[in-house]
This record gives sequence, C-alpha cells and structure tokens, in this order.
Amino acid sequence: MKTRARLPRLIATGATLALALSLSACGDGNGGASADDGKIHILVYGDATNKIEKQIVDKFNETSDVKAVLDTIPGADYQKKLQTIISTPQAPDVFFNWGGGSIKPFVKADLLLPLDDFIKKNPELESKFLPSVFNNAVVDGKPYGIPMRGTQPVLLFHNKNVLKKAGVQPPKTWDELLNAVDALKDEGVTPIALGGGDVWPTQMWFQYLFDRIAGPELFAKAIEGDKSAWEAPESKKALKMIRELVDAGAFGKNYDSVKYTNGGSVALVAQGKAGFELMGSWYYSQQLTDHPDFAEKGLGYSAFPTVEGGKGDPKNVAGNTNNYYSVLKKTKHPEAVAKFLELMYSDEFVKAQLDVGNLTTTTNTDEFIETSATPEYSRFQYDLVANAPSFQLSWDQAYPQSAASDMHKAIQQFFNGQLDADGFIKAMQALPTE
Amino acid sequence: MTTKITSAPPAAGLRKESRRRPAASPSISTVGRPGFAWALPAALFFTLFAIVPLVMVAVLSFMSWNGLGSPQWVGTDNWSRLWDDPVMLKSVWLTLLLTALGVVIQTPLSILLGVWAAGYQRNRAVLSVIYFIPLLLSATAVSVLWRALLDPNFGIPADATWLFGDGNLFGEQATAIGVLAFVSTWQFTPFHTLIYQGAARSIPQVLYQAAEIDGAGRYRQFFHITLPQLRNSMITSMILMIVGGLTTFETVLILTQGGPGTDTTISAYYMYDKAFKGFDFGAGSAIALALVVAATIISLVVVKVSGYDKMRSSMEGVS
Repeated sequence: MKTRARLPRLIATGATLALALSLSACGDGNGGASADDGKIHILVYGDATNKIEKQIVDKFNETSDVKAVLDTIPGADYQKKLQTIISTPQAPDVFFNWGGGSIKPFVKADLLLPLDDFIKKNPELESKFLPSVFNNAVVDGKPYGIPMRGTQPVLLFHNKNVLKKAGVQPPKTWDELLNAVDALKDEGVTPIALGGGDVWPTQMWFQYLFDRIAGPELFAKAIEGDKSAWEAPESKKALKMIRELVDAGAFGKNYDSVKYTNGGSVALVAQGKAGFELMGSWYYSQQLTDHPDFAEKGLGYSAFPTVEGGKGDPKNVAGNTNNYYSVLKKTKHPEAVAKFLELMYSDEFVKAQLDVGNLTTTTNTDEFIETSATPEYSRFQYDLVANAPSFQLSWDQAYPQSAASDMHKAIQQFFNGQLDADGFIKAMQALPTE
Repeated sequence: MTTKITSAPPAAGLRKESRRRPAASPSISTVGRPGFAWALPAALFFTLFAIVPLVMVAVLSFMSWNGLGSPQWVGTDNWSRLWDDPVMLKSVWLTLLLTALGVVIQTPLSILLGVWAAGYQRNRAVLSVIYFIPLLLSATAVSVLWRALLDPNFGIPADATWLFGDGNLFGEQATAIGVLAFVSTWQFTPFHTLIYQGAARSIPQVLYQAAEIDGAGRYRQFFHITLPQLRNSMITSMILMIVGGLTTFETVLILTQGGPGTDTTISAYYMYDKAFKGFDFGAGSAIALALVVAATIISLVVVKVSGYDKMRSSMEGVS
C-alpha cells in the first residue's frame, strides 16, 4: 500500500524534473546570443584548439566592458548548426569559418559585416596578416574575415617506431609509398590509418593526387563549371592510382568503420597499429591532447610524396589556408568586436598557437617560430607553405555547401569500390558549382 | 450529416456539440462526457507543435530555400526531382526493410519475454527490471554506446575476430543494416515486452485452469490460449513498431550516417541529409511530407486489415 501511494508523487516529481531540464536546455542549448544580453557571442568549431580560443577570450574579458562568450559546437555538426541559426535571433556575433566558398552564401544573403570600417580605423587588422591568406576571405572585393587559427596544410604523418621496425623511411615518391605499404603489411600493421567514416579524410587523398597528377588547373576548371574536367585523362589516371593504393590494402579493410572525429584513427597511429595517416596540420595538436607522450616522442611527418610524370608542381600543398572570424551585421557591439579581432595578431595569440603546432599567418609569426615549443614542426610547415606555388583549398570547402554531401558520397563509394571510375566521374559532374 | 451541418443556421440556438451529432446528443450529454474545453490545452499544443509545422512543411515542399534569405516558389520541382532520384527510391526500400526486420525480430522476442515476465516465478521481478534498462536510455546514448562497442579497432570486434572477421561492420551494407536492426532490437524489445507482459497478466487464470483439467500441456496452453488472447496487444505493438521503424532516425545518424555511400540512407535520414547537410530545405520538406503520408496510410491499412478498429474486448471466451 505504501509504495502505491508514493508512486504518483514520484511520477509527478519526475515529470517536473524532466520539464525543468528540458526548459533549461532550451535556455542555453542554442549556442548563441538569444536576446541582447550585453555580451558578444563567439561561435567556434569544437576541437583541441579551443583552449587557445578560450585563452584569448579570457584575455579580452580582462580589459573589456562588453564581455565575450565562447560557444563551441562539435566539429562534425558545426556547419549545419551554423547555417540553421545564422539568420535567426540565436545567431552569434562572431563565428568561425573557412573563408572563400564557406561564407559566400552568407554574404549573398546580406548577413555579414564588411570589415572595411574596422580596417579604416585600424589598418593593422589587414596589414598584420599575410596577404595571400587574408585575401581568401575577401568576397566581391570586400574583406569579411580575420584569420584566427593557423594555416593547415595536409601532411603525411607517421609513427616513427612503426616505420623503424619495418625498415621504412618516410616516402618521398609515390613508388616509395607503395613499397612502404608492402613492408608495413608484412609487419602486420595497417599501413595507413584512415577515418573513412568521416569521408573528408578520404577526400584528402583525392585532393593531393589530382593536384600532383593534373596540377591545380584541372580542379579550378571543374569548379568553374567545366564538367569535362572530370573526364580528362589526368583525372582518370589519378583515380586509377587511388584504386591501386586501396586494392594494395594500404588502408586495411575496415576504414569505413573508423572515424577521425571520435579519435579512432588518431589512436591507431598513436598505439602503433598503423604506420601513416594523411591529415591536416592540426593533427599534431590533436595527438598532443589525446596522446601527449606519443606526440612528443613518436610522431613524425613529411610532405605528400611526389608523383613521377605528374603535371602538378611537387611543392604544391593542399588543405585549408586558414580559418577566419567573420562578423554578423546585426551585432550590437561592433567596437568590442573590433577590439576582439585585434587580438588575432597579438604576440600572445601567435605564441599560444605555435606552442600547439598551429602555424599562424600573421606577419610577426616568423620571429616567434624559433622560440616556440615546436620550432622544428613550425619551421617545416612555414617553409612548405611559403614555398608552395599553389595551395589547393579542400574540395568540400571550395565547392558550394550544397555539393558537399553528394561529393562525400561519391568519394566514399569510389574508394570502397561501390562506384567505378566512370560512376565517380558522373557523380562529380552532377555536383552544383554555384 | 455534413449537409445537415452546413444547412443548419448558425443562429439556431443549438449548442455546438449538438450541432455536430444531432442524433446522439441527448444520450451523450446525459452521460456527462467532458466538453471540448477539456481537450483545449492538448489541442492547442498539438496545433502549435504538430499541425502548424506540418502545414509549413507542406508549403515549403513547393519552395526552394537554403535557410538564408526568403524562400522562392518553384512549383512541383522538388517533387519531380524526388521522383527521379534513385537514392530516394533506395531509401524507401531500406526503410521498409528495416521496419520489417524490426517487426519480425522484435515481435517473437518480446512475446516470449513478456509472457515469461507475466509469470510468478522466483527472481522474475529482478530480471524483468534488468531487461527494462535499455528502454530508460535515450536512443542517442544507446547509439553512441554501440558505435563505441563495435569499433573495429578498439571495440568487441578487435577481440573477437573469429566472429567479426576484419570488423568492418559499418563499411558493408549487409552488416551495417544488421547493426541497425540489432541496436533497435536491443533498445525497443523491452518496451514491447512490457506491453505483452501487461496483456498476458490480464488473461484470466480460469482459462489455464480449465485447460489443465482438460489435459493441455504448456505448449498447447501457449499456442491456444496465450497467443490468441494477445492478439490485440500484438496489433498495438506492431503498429508502434511500424510507425517507429518508419520514423527511425537518430540510430542511423549516429551509427552509420547513411553510409557506406548511401547503403543505409533510410528516408528519414535522407530528409535530414537533404535539408541540413545539403541545405535544400525544399527537397527535405518534400521527403518529410511523403513520410508522413506513407506512415499514416500504412498505419490505417494495418488497423483496417487487423480489425483493430472494431475491437471491443480482449476477454474473448471468458463470458
């Protein structure tokens, strides 16, 4: 009897609790400034570099009357969450993006604040950054973004111990890579770790091989709407080489079940279960967070191998030129935002980024490299990027957002053999280019 | 009836209720059934959070919108594109397959468990509570849990290669579908078990006592008394499974992202893919509306065919 009498009250308490929880979730779960709460909200892609963004926000809040709040969204969901809230009252004041194609739709929808006025008041907001990087966030002749992380060339990382055991050197050419794959397979490790479940890591192999074999011009042609580019012999050759690499067992068999974003492929390399991983330069700071011991002692890196007979300059790199902070037109505190953006070329910012292996693109970067925590790694990246005749922007960032999902499907399906070369070419030709 | 309603002059002084059901009104009002006012709060919420969005989705399915700026009318463009889309067709088959798998696997399991849990054996209550646990977890938590458990390099497959081979569970269509079916079974069987447990408990004991006197064994009792008596619960549970299956989403989102390629892209996920990854909210809305219509029709058909709508009592054979 006693328990029976207690039950309704229990249910009532539970229901109240559930309601209260869901209500409070409504309150702070939107990751942005709902009404004007007298703060500026900064929305950032959630990953290991967030600790620096946090540090800079704290620094800003020390002196500013208008406080800044850092909101992060886990990487895999960033883009869709951003696009859903950006034209609503929940939109942030300042947000992370990839420049170029990633902000074009927002500029078109008249949501972003051109930074001309900021720069007029403080020319350093432009002059303190490398022009080639700054210009990637210029749309229709107006600047819309301030570089806020490091430049991110994609590098071929490796586990030094695994390579040593198999008697393999970091490959300089494609043939050396194929030999390394065989040697590592004989050792019983997966030659190359790949987070195929995320698909964009798979895409990196396409980006580099197309650039090495055809040069950057072919992809530039394709993205301008010339669909015949995908049928070019160079395109077919690149696809054939990808096929050969996959069929040689370079990625093992279960790469589509592995992810980078949940730390899977990262752990494979760190624990010595795989030899290589092709990844953006943020990989170092990710390893430093997940497996600090390995990052300091066992992590090696090299540039993407050259391909004999390829038209592309072997010094070309692919990746993301940088990430940017863009400002929404509707922000109520433009002066505070301008002050915040000025921190993106401060000495403290540059030092903090360099210490986790991110190579900033400010004009004062060079003078801090030697005193940073990882001078060798920073110097390697710096030279690589500075000497590269062309920097291929990640395909899914170069194409309009609406193409990304179908592009990822085609890439995954070609890689795992569901599509043949002709099927892949057709799928890429069907992508919208504007 | 409809002509009567329209022809009735509004100022006739009749009460709203009696206008709707002229013949039945006296008996109903004498019984004292609560008026419409009682349903108002629920109706209001339902209108605000279900009907209004549904209408907006219907309108949006004839527009082109990427989430920014204002939507443009495009007529039936979204619908004709959808009709010619091979992925859409594939997604419909996959949805039906997963739904069917759910019904076929979960029904026998939950009947057996439910009937067992309805008994009065020793330790039954403790075990029942344990079986019930998966239902208390959110579908998201369950999916994240299984995604980690089935990781090819750091999960169970890495230590049980004799069973999982290379562990490429999410990389092949057959195994990816298998994982999806398994995880939903793991999560939802307890719920259906609960339905059957309640139903089996309400079967009058006299039936079993009579059967025992007549010399019927356990199996005969199960097939000739328990199963027929569970018929209505079975239909309830199956309708819930079908509707649940057609609207499955988060399991796919977290476990497979519709992959490899489009091999587990069920319709609900394809809707999400179109709307929130490709930012084609028009096409997404068209899929959403098609899903609503399809789920409604299938539920209606099941109700009609099973005679659920004419159901009176589950106490057949008692009186």
